[in-house]
Amino acid sequence: MPKYDIVVVGAGNAGMSAALQCQLAGKKTLLIEKHNVPGGAATSFVRGRFEIEPSLHELCDFGPPDNPGDTRKILEGYGVKLNWVEVKDCFRIISRYSDGSPMDVTMPAGIGNFIDKMEEYVPGSREKMTKLFDLFQEVLDGIAYITASKGNPDSKVLQSEYPDMLRCGAYSTQKVFNALKLPKKCQDILSTYWSYLGVDMEHLAFIHYAAMVHKYVQRSAYIPEHTSHQYSTAMIERFRELGGDVWFNCRAEEFLFNGDKLCGVRTNLGDVECDYALANINPDIIYGKMVPKELIPEREKKLSKARGRIMGGRMYTAYFCCDATAEELGITDYSYFLPSTADSVVEYQRIQGGMKTNNYSIFLCYNTVLPDFSPPGTCVCSFTTFGAPDEWGELKQEDYFRFKNEGVKKMLKNLKEKTGIDLSGHIEEMEVGSPWTFARYLGVPEGSVYGYEARDWDGMMARMQMVGNDYPIKGLRPIGAAGPRSDGYSATIVCGQMLAGAALRDLKAWSEGGNK
Amino acid sequence: MPDLNIKVGLIGKFDMLKFKNMKKVREKAIQAASADEISGVFPVNENAKALHPDFLELVIDRIIDRGEAQAKTFVLKRADGTPLPYFRAGQYISLKLPMDGSFVTRSYSLCSSPKDALAGEYAITVRANPGGFVADRLLEEKKPGDKVITSGPLGFFYYEDLRDAKNVIGLAGGSGITPFLSMARALADGIEDFNLTLLFGSRNEENILFRGELDELARACPKFKVIHVLSEEEKTGFESGFITADLIRKYAPQEEPFSVFLCGPEAMYKFLKPEIEKLGLPERLFRRKLIDVTKTPWECEGYPQEAKGKAFSVKVKQGPQEWTIPASADEPVLVAIERAGIKAPSRCRAGECGWCRSRLLEGTVFIPQENEMRRWADVHYGYIHPCCSFPTSDLTLEIPGEFF
Repeated sequence: MPKYDIVVVGAGNAGMSAALQCQLAGKKTLLIEKHNVPGGAATSFVRGRFEIEPSLHELCDFGPPDNPGDTRKILEGYGVKLNWVEVKDCFRIISRYSDGSPMDVTMPAGIGNFIDKMEEYVPGSREKMTKLFDLFQEVLDGIAYITASKGNPDSKVLQSEYPDMLRCGAYSTQKVFNALKLPKKCQDILSTYWSYLGVDMEHLAFIHYAAMVHKYVQRSAYIPEHTSHQYSTAMIERFRELGGDVWFNCRAEEFLFNGDKLCGVRTNLGDVECDYALANINPDIIYGKMVPKELIPEREKKLSKARGRIMGGRMYTAYFCCDATAEELGITDYSYFLPSTADSVVEYQRIQGGMKTNNYSIFLCYNTVLPDFSPPGTCVCSFTTFGAPDEWGELKQEDYFRFKNEGVKKMLKNLKEKTGIDLSGHIEEMEVGSPWTFARYLGVPEGSVYGYEARDWDGMMARMQMVGNDYPIKGLRPIGAAGPRSDGYSATIVCGQMLAGAALRDLKAWSEGGNK
Repeated sequence: MPDLNIKVGLIGKFDMLKFKNMKKVREKAIQAASADEISGVFPVNENAKALHPDFLELVIDRIIDRGEAQAKTFVLKRADGTPLPYFRAGQYISLKLPMDGSFVTRSYSLCSSPKDALAGEYAITVRANPGGFVADRLLEEKKPGDKVITSGPLGFFYYEDLRDAKNVIGLAGGSGITPFLSMARALADGIEDFNLTLLFGSRNEENILFRGELDELARACPKFKVIHVLSEEEKTGFESGFITADLIRKYAPQEEPFSVFLCGPEAMYKFLKPEIEKLGLPERLFRRKLIDVTKTPWECEGYPQEAKGKAFSVKVKQGPQEWTIPASADEPVLVAIERAGIKAPSRCRAGECGWCRSRLLEGTVFIPQENEMRRWADVHYGYIHPCCSFPTSDLTLEIPGEFF
């Protein structure tokens, strides 16, 4: 039987990051992936003469080489090399302010630029916005401190260094905005980011929101030149260069135990012996299907129940390859947010109501940032929205193809009405990714790429502080978007690194304690 | 850090305590829940798995002989007769056939209606292919009751209302009729909604595959028309000769846009390419079913002629296993892998689906231009699709696993 120190199951963002971290630490690491390509959501697919990016809009906290953000630092630390291209604007949003007046706003990256632009749209907002970004910075520093303390921060340090983070830390974003007396129009514009985490502003922890928005605004975001499959392949290339093994089309069927300690992984390519497994799989799937029932702690059963299987962000996407350029189609911006209202609570409810009430979408055109993304005279665009669980759970196969196109037609219509951009008559290739697609491809519950909704008591900071409490089975840690750092490329890259670090510490402690 | 003085309203002096209590609050919420078994089963995921299975274990229910057309239709069911994954008319399934100790895949378009899948049936039609490795043996050897492993429905050769013109001119040759038959049946069943005018090339009247079915469907369904084009016969009621740009223009709508869908043998593609160019259609209005990889790579542009006919050695790695096998320059490397009895993944065998995507660690291969559908990074980092890559040196290859 092949033997490794660590097996990483699932070569998604968290899995690739964890595998690189383990291999760099000198552990003999095997990365197994159930598909024949790496990346999970970070992949691409080919239709006709086009290669399509399925998921990445912007890799945040990246920045230029001379001012790197954490994401760039991590990837460069791994020694991963590829060409990245800057996305200069944060977003354009065409919607309605919560008072019903029309909204068409384009926000640039860079804190100074962002605040200046906000002052243009909402005169008199500068002072409050500056305060808000100072607060974001403190939150970010505070999280960095808590991360560095490996979940055991010194409360004296927290009180002296990060008092405002502590004051805001337990509240929703909406409450903090109100407390800051941020002008309502600013709040509306800033609420654009809610969908990145899939939790409305009333239930999204401020600390989580602050960390994310700061990362998007402070340094401009980047995308790979040739889809996120280029990035994933570069990650795998580097991992192999370091001596790691990768098996594709290799699916973990179950985890094997010696007593209460993990000792291997059963796969379609045979059993693999190991001391530790990092599983880039939703914990409900791991604990519900892949681990012997008698090993599941009571508390983890309660944790699953308490979460109520409520998943965030069930992806519903459409991809269009057009035989006209972005310019010819009148596409001027990279990303267009097209909610029916800036009120995230209303918008969240409409999404939960399913296709009848959902009119939320994000429209994106890669060629506005990467002119050579597709053959000359063409462009590639995508729509992103979210699906409601019941609707897609109760749908019959024979209605599926028609149903998934209905929502797409609605998104195309919404785009045309709000921007005048009309793709009809130019669509050469297209594909729709429904929650079924994401459920099948990523194996995530209900097609949610966001994991459990990071809302209320189960927010990011609370999870972060309980990394040592959750999922205590010896030698097996879940990683990924359902983990402590929640969803997103950068968050899961960080999560993979962080929990690989925890695994390495466990291994060290066991070997020192003679527990092996 | 300036004092932000945000102690307003709800946010006040207990906030620090609240922050510290986050852990306690979360633990309390967890402990308040009941300790039910974790299920791990989600309806959306079950739906997705049913629609896109890893593979299907089917049984040949019955075989229909197509007589003069030298073909047989195989009706496939599950052993328990339960519904099969629904599909889009025009899609194919890939059969995984054990032959002489090896596994070989072949793709066949489903010729049945998607509706039949709900009743538990798929139908494929196999035409005699003298000298071929698989088709003739399928026709001779397979009997009702035999088991067959297949993929779920695959491929992108189907009508899509957001993309294609409402009027479709179908061009079919020989067994290339099968996806169109499925489309015609779907139109008749009200599953699809477009106008299909099919120009179907056959050698002579006797040789027309599915003659009765097609004519019957055309009578019953106003959205479907069929024009038989005979290459070796002149008869009233038939077009004669080959399908040309002029013939397409004759049957295409004059005022409205139309899409052209093409499915037929390699020779037909070659003949029709310049004819279709004459129509001046934008690329989006022309779709063709994938093209099987050539049997004569040395006739392709850019082929390194010195490799022709040579024998090479290929080191194949799959998970923990490793083999060294012989390979011929004249066949795709996938064929060598299959012949060696290695269970290698493959589906479309035309470079399109990428299911066989493998890492080329050492050596060089030749890939015909019309089968080059790799991702940018795969080309850049040395991944190939073995189904359409011909060895031009000794190779070391890392292939993915299989699930069946």
